[in-house]
This record gives sequence, C-alpha cells and structure tokens, in this order.
Amino acid sequence: MAKDSLLLMRINVKALLLFSVFVVATCGLVYELVAGTLASYLLGDSVTQFSTIIGVYLFSMGIGSYLSKFFNRNLIAWFIQIEVLVAVVGGLSSSILFLLFNQVASFRIVLYMLVSLTGILVGLEIPLIMRILEDRFEFKDLVSKVFTFDYIGALLASVVFPLLLVPYLGLLRTSFFFGLMNAGVALWLCFFFSKEISWTRYLKTTCMLAIALLVAGFILSDRIMSFAESMAYADKIVYSVQSPYQRVVLTKNEHELRLFLNGNLQFSSADEYRYHEALVHPGLNAVPNPRQVLVLGGGDGLAVREILRYPGVEKVTLVDLDPEVTKIFKSHASLVALNQESLLSEKVEVINADAFQWLRENRKQFDFVVIDFPDPSNYSIGKLYSNVFYRLLENTLTPEGKVVIQATSPFVAPKSYWCVVNTLQSCGFSTLPYHAHVPSFGDWGFVLAQRKTNWQLNPDYPKELKFVDAASFAQMAVFPKDMPRVETEVNKLNNQVLVHYFEEEWAQFVN
Amino acid sequence: MPKQSGRRDFLRKSMAALGGLAVSGGGLAACANKAQAQQMQGQLLGPSFKAGHLLRKGITVEPTEVEEQEVVIVGGGASGLAAARWLKKHSAKKILLLELESETGGNAAAGKNGHTAYPWGAHYLPLPNNSFTELLEFLQETNVITGFDGEGLPNYNEYYLCFDPEERLYIHNYWQEGLVPHWGVPEADQQQIARFQQLMEELKQAQGKDGKFAFDIPLGHSSADVQYRDLDKLTMLEWLQQQELTSEYLHWYVDYCCRDDFGSSIAHTSAWAGIHYFAARKARAANSESHRVLTWPEGNNWLVQRLRESCADSIRTNAMVYRVGEQEGKVVIDYMDLRTQQYKRLLAKQCVMATPQFVNQRLLSALPALLDSRNLRKFNYAPWLVANLTLKDVPRSKGFGLSWDNVIYGSKSLGYVYANHQQVALFPEKKTITFYHALADEAPAAARGKAYGSSYDTWKEFVLQELEKAHPSLREQVEQLDVWVWGHGMIRPTPGFIWGQDREMANMPYADKVYFAHTDLSGISVFEEAFYQGVTAARQLLSSKLA
Repeated sequence: MAKDSLLLMRINVKALLLFSVFVVATCGLVYELVAGTLASYLLGDSVTQFSTIIGVYLFSMGIGSYLSKFFNRNLIAWFIQIEVLVAVVGGLSSSILFLLFNQVASFRIVLYMLVSLTGILVGLEIPLIMRILEDRFEFKDLVSKVFTFDYIGALLASVVFPLLLVPYLGLLRTSFFFGLMNAGVALWLCFFFSKEISWTRYLKTTCMLAIALLVAGFILSDRIMSFAESMAYADKIVYSVQSPYQRVVLTKNEHELRLFLNGNLQFSSADEYRYHEALVHPGLNAVPNPRQVLVLGGGDGLAVREILRYPGVEKVTLVDLDPEVTKIFKSHASLVALNQESLLSEKVEVINADAFQWLRENRKQFDFVVIDFPDPSNYSIGKLYSNVFYRLLENTLTPEGKVVIQATSPFVAPKSYWCVVNTLQSCGFSTLPYHAHVPSFGDWGFVLAQRKTNWQLNPDYPKELKFVDAASFAQMAVFPKDMPRVETEVNKLNNQVLVHYFEEEWAQFVN
Repeated sequence: MPKQSGRRDFLRKSMAALGGLAVSGGGLAACANKAQAQQMQGQLLGPSFKAGHLLRKGITVEPTEVEEQEVVIVGGGASGLAAARWLKKHSAKKILLLELESETGGNAAAGKNGHTAYPWGAHYLPLPNNSFTELLEFLQETNVITGFDGEGLPNYNEYYLCFDPEERLYIHNYWQEGLVPHWGVPEADQQQIARFQQLMEELKQAQGKDGKFAFDIPLGHSSADVQYRDLDKLTMLEWLQQQELTSEYLHWYVDYCCRDDFGSSIAHTSAWAGIHYFAARKARAANSESHRVLTWPEGNNWLVQRLRESCADSIRTNAMVYRVGEQEGKVVIDYMDLRTQQYKRLLAKQCVMATPQFVNQRLLSALPALLDSRNLRKFNYAPWLVANLTLKDVPRSKGFGLSWDNVIYGSKSLGYVYANHQQVALFPEKKTITFYHALADEAPAAARGKAYGSSYDTWKEFVLQELEKAHPSLREQVEQLDVWVWGHGMIRPTPGFIWGQDREMANMPYADKVYFAHTDLSGISVFEEAFYQGVTAARQLLSSKLA
C-alpha cells in the first residue's frame, strides 16, 4: 500500500492531469449516455431522446467553456471543486431521474436541467485543465494531448457503456461507479497538489463526503430502484412480480389491501365485497339448482368465494391466463384470508389458459358463467367482448343457465357499457343490465344475459351478504335520468368499436 | 529526460490499458454477434428449382408405362384445383390432377412453426362481388359464408373476416391507422388524394354502353366499351398525370398498390389494371363493410386446402409433366415421377393446362400448330421475395398499434403482415410476420437473375434493413428468418396486355381437347381470377362436342 502510493506520487504532474482529462471525458460521455438511455426507457422514442440529449449536452459544454473565462485564480482548486460537483451530479443523476419520473409534472424539465448542469460542469473542466497545463507544454503539444485524451475517453465510454456497463452494472450503478471515478480523481489531485493549493482541507472533506455518498448509492441501488417503483403507489408494496403478461403489485395500508395489474386498480379490500357480491349473486341466485359454474378471468378468487356460498354448487372452473395471479391468491396469507381460501377448495379447478381459446375448445356446459375480464382498453382484450366470443357462450350455457359480465362504468363510459349490452343482444341473448356503487371504482356496470326472454329473479339472497339483497338489486336495475341507454354499434372482431368507445370515453374522463 | 520517459511510460501504459479494454470489448462484441448469429436461424426456400432446370434442359424420354385417363389436369395451383372441383361437382368424369411440387396450392403456399401457420405467398381474399355466384357458392360450402340475410346479402364467418385493426402505415416516424397517407401530409396533397378517391368511387359505379360495369371481377365480366378499355393503352403513371394528379404521396400510394397486386410499378402497369384494383370490387355483405378482406394465419393456403379436399382422391404430386402432345385423337401427357425417377405416359380424352404460359411454352412444343397460333413470350412475370420472421415480440414504436397489414411509407417493399392476427389468443408466445417484396425495379429477367443469384445472407440483410426503417431494434427479436424466392411470382399487366390479342389467343381451347386455366390468362394474379379460370375451363370442357 505504502509502496503503491509512493509510486503514484512519483508520477509526473502532467501525466496525472492528462489522466484526469481522460477520466472526465469518459465520465462525461457516460452520464450523457445514461441520460439518453433512461429517457428512452421512460419516455420511449429513443431517436428523439438521444438526439435532444446529445444536443443539450454539447450545447451546455459550450456554455461551460464560455464560463471558464471567469475563473482567474486557484485554478487547480477550482478544477478539483468542479470535479467533485460532476461526481455528485452525474453520479446521482440516474437515481434522481428514476425517483422523480412519477412525481413531477414535467419530467422533461428535470431531465434537461440535469443534462445541462452536467454538460456545463464538464464543459468548464477542459478549458480549466488546459490553462493549468498552459505553462507546462508548448501550445501545439497541449492542444494535441488534451484533445487526444478527451476523445480516447469518449471512445472508451461509448464502447464499454453498451457492452459492459448496462448489461452488468445497470443504469443506476453505472452512474454511481463513474461518479466514484470522478470523486477519486478529485481526491487524488487534492493529495498530489496539497502543497500548491488553497482550501485543501475543505476540498479533501468534500471529496470524502462525495465518495461516501456515492459508495452508499452504489450499494443501495436495488433499494433505490424498488423505492422508485413504490412511489408510483400511494401505499406500501407488499408483493410485486412481473409475469409474462403483466406487472402484479399488491399494496397495503392500515385499512386495506389493493391489487394493481399494470398499475390499474383491480380491487381494494375495503369495498371489493360490493363489487363481487353485485357481480355474482343476482345471477347465480336466480339459477335453479346451479351445479357447474365457470369463471373467466377473476384469478383473485373473490368471485369464487361468493360462488362457494351456494352449497349446491359442485364444481367451479376458473380460467385465468396468468399463473402468477392465481398463485399468489392461493399462497399469500392476507390474500388467502381475503378470498377465504376459495382457490384451495376441492370444488375449484384452476386452469391457466387463454379464455377465448379455452372456450372455443370447451364442450362442457355450465349453469352459471362469470366473466370478469380487464376493461377493453386494447385490441387484444377487446376480442373478449366481441359477438364472436359471446356466441361461444351459447353452447356453454345450460338451457336455464345465465351469464354475468363486468362491463365498465355506465356513468363514465356509457357507450362502452351499452355496447356490451347491444353486442350480447345481437347474439340472441336476453339481457338484464344493472349497476352498483363501488367507492374505489365509482358507479360500476354489469350485464346479466340468458337465452330465455323472461327474467325471474330469486328474492331470497344468502343471509351473510353485506351488500346485495332484493331491495338493493331493485335499485341497481334502475338507470337514472343522467345514465340513459345509448345507441351503439355491435362490437365485432372486424370493427372493435368497443375499444374505440372505451378509449374515447375514459380519455375524456381522465382529462 | 527522465520526465520524458515518464510520460512515454504513462502513455504506453494507458494505451495498453485502452487496448486491453478494446480487445476485451471487441471479444465481447464478437461473442454477442456469435450469440445473435446462433440465435437467428433460417434458410432460403422456393419452388422446385431442380425441376425447373430439368425442364429447361429438355427431356426427350419416351415413357413405356402408359395409362388411360378421361381428363387430366396439369398443375395444382388455385386454378387447377378449381377446375378439378368443378368437374367433380358437375360431371361424373374420371379426372387426374398432376402437380410438380410435393403439395398442391401453387402461389398460395404456406408454412408452419410451433406457434402459428404463415403464408409464403397469396394471403387474403377481398370480399367477392355479389354477382360472382360461383365463388360465393364455394365460400358457402366451406362455411366462409354462414348464411344470407333478408336482403340476400351474405353473412361472412367472423373468424375469417380480417380482425380490427386492419392496416397501418409508418410515415414521418409515426404509425398512422390505415394505408392512405395522411399523417403529416400537406393539405394540397390530401386534396389530391381525396380527388383520386372520388374518381375511383365514380369508376366503381361506372358502366359501359353494353350496360356492364366498366371494371368487374372476374375481369372478363367487365364492359367492352372502348372508352374504358382504351385505358389499357396507358400506364397508370400517364393516367395520373393526365388527371393532373401529381402528389408525391398519392403516387407512392398508387405505386404501392400496383406493386402489391401486380408486382410492377405505376410506370409499367396498365392504367386499366391500376384502376381495376380500386374500382372493380363492390361487394356487399350483411355483417361487414364492403372493402374488408377474408384472411387466415396461413393465408390463401386455407382456400386451396378446401379446394383440394373436393378432389383429394384424384391428385398425384411430385409429378413433373415435361411434354404434352397429341396421338390418335388423344392427348398425350408425359411426366416423370420425381420420387421414383420413373417416366410415365398418360393418354387422356381431354386435358386442362392449369400451368403458367412460360411453362406451356416448353410443355407444348410437341404441338407446333398450337404454339404457332399464340405468342406466349409476351407473358412476363414479376419475381417476388417473401420472408417469414419469428419474433420474440414485434418492437413497439410511436403511433397506432400492431395491425394485420403494416406498411412503411417510402419503402419499395410492401411491409409485413402479422400472421398471428387471426388467432383469438391474447398473448401469442411468439409472433410471426410475413414480409413481402416485389422485385419491380428492374426488367423481370434481370430481377429474376438477381433473385436467384443472391445468397440467403444477402436477402436476410435486405429484409432486416427494410424492416429496421420502422423497427430499429428488430434484429434482437428475430429467432428465425426464412426467405422464399418466387422467380415467376405473378403476371404483370403491362400496357396493352389485358385487352390485347396475345392474352385473348392464349385463352383459346385447342381442338376440343386442350383447355387453359391460369391467372396469367386473366392478366392479373389474384385468387378470384384463378378460381374463375378453373371454372371457365371446366365449363368449356364439359360443353365440348367430345363431352
């Protein structure tokens, strides 16, 4: 160790300063690449992001170069000071960007401010170092050496960034790592020039602090990453997993559990009973002697929990695409408590399959079918609300059988809701539309459908229900004056009108 | 001096360090490339080259094994199969269909991977005109039409009607919905495009003096009025210029359509044919808009499989016919069984040549009287390139989402079709896209030479580069990339060809014995024409004096 540092001390002053040019150049380009990559990840459209970031960065370097003329004394000390600043700003940049992405209204302003700040600082350094070396080289030598190292550094950065850094370190660690390189050079310079510069102690202390901060960041990168994600949710994340189909996130606070799929709320434990009671009971209760029940979607087992309240039901077949969802609802303690172990019941068969394909191949008949798919927000899911899909139900239902469909909010998205009703009717079903208030969602719509035309409901609901009974259902079936039925087209595979309605109506609601 | 050596030493060391990094970086890059190369697999495919070569060389063997047949159909593409189906359905004749390849289907070839079937050629059928009853009847037989409504309009099977979203165009770095350019297109150009569409709407309804539609499908049903037929003397480009339609965007769009349907550019396509593309189709359906199409993951192979089922017991594949002649009032068909390498002779009362005319040029050399009466060298064909890519995923880019047909503005290629589109599953595990390219920029023979002469790697690179225009990161998604070259992909309706004498003469039956059915005899290569060619030849055969 001692021998090493002695060796280091002997290295030529000029070589050390040129080496720091090399480090500055490498780090500077790395920060720029990190910002570009991160912006492409978060904002998409990599061509635009990279072009604008490179442009802003180069322009800011120009500003830095211009500002360098205002530094007249203590050049080495200033150089070290700036180097520490680059280390901190550059090193923290990617974490700051990740953390702020969901929090600030105008993420781009933060992004470009950070890029400009890094650019200005790096832009200051090269002119400063040239002036420090001014007396030690002939001018032509100076220019040739400084720029040679500058560009070699840039080359190194652009080669190692995609090949080594991103795959092995990830973006956050890469920033911290290069911040450490900057801070390390600053510290080295402090020791090397300790006799020649003023404010040595102050500079050494800031270098040390910067290094400590960056080491801590480097070590805690994973936690910073998951914290950044958790900030998108109001509550603590207790479970999260990325399945091949979606991101599943479970959050918890004192009062409730919430499940999010791709960031969209699926239920809150505080009022999900309203949704699931309204979904299941009006229909199932009206089927005489239901034995076989099918649930499409609904991998949370909450609809199944309601179905199992009917002792006559012999078997519940649950078809849900995502094994990750059905898995946590079979195993996670709070979720199993919530669905009352419904998915572990002997009466329940869980099938992880694509509902459309499964239904197309199914030959079995059911007395009651619950369809609880995500809202038709894209063309893939829109297929599950098409007339072709509903026609498959004809052979799936027993003659007395009924089907219920969750059909988005008739208040927010009346066209979408009535489009589901009209599509079912176009397939020859008789429909019974109704809606219920679920505080987490708002006014939510359901549609009951059957082959017969006359509707006979059973006023005797299971006693233990908290929400649905004959009186409350009578209200659910009434659509008040501000929610009238609207005319819509039929949703077909070859027009997918529902996706268009849904996009239009929810976009208006959100804005 | 010591200072000097110190610096040199430092320089040397830092260079060495940098060199080391560069080497390791290079090594890594090489590994990555190797991994990618191993990951991306593929091969060059195409119709039987060997057989083609043998035919060109000429075979003179006189087969000793002779077999009698009533009707022989040479060629198992859509028109040959349609002829066979018609004869089976409307007569008790014993027929035999000979096909060179190991499977029938011609240009409607298809392949299959673990996730989906995909087309190697023709891949959709526009809703047929309601007057085309023969085709409607076939579609009803195969449950493509599931019934008719009160007005008599067909209800199409919604699994086969192209799902929404149907088309998108990548223009100005954005995917717009639909293929007619509008995203970032200047007002003046949009007006020209609208005027063009208006003209096409008018021509769609236009009728000649004989009361027939100016443009119809089958093409033979179109009006003989010279006012319209004379359009065949112009190129599509000349016609656009005559109409003062000069917008670059419009020209690209019309050119794209001509390449897509005819394999030739607007500068080489007859204006009659070019307009026919826009104005001939006037289908009315109970459950679909008029301009929609029917499609299947395997493309039109689905249709030819249904045709094949109607005559499956009368098909001989791997049968390379090399001579068709005449002997004692019978048609002599000599062929080689490619599996056993044996030469065989068929003696038939009648024969349908469902082969393209460039093949007939060789097969019929034993019938000089027939060949002299027609000018088959006037038939020329566009070479095509089709590639199928299996992807981990189709990369997302700005704008409208993945559609059935995805076209890149400004590209000379025809974009790609998403083979999984007609699957109902929400998340296909792998996605397959079919890339199409008509080699329309050079004279067909030169283009054909190039198409056959280029290696798999050359084509692979070409396909990737074309697709990278819209999907810069596509390469890393590709697991399999196969390329298929069609030397004679489709007949080109050059000016004067459709309503000229050469085509008319080539359609003529010979001596009540030899009948002709192929899309090249219609002048445009689409399933409807192939089907109609087969039906027409079969009808002529059944009404002949011999029958």
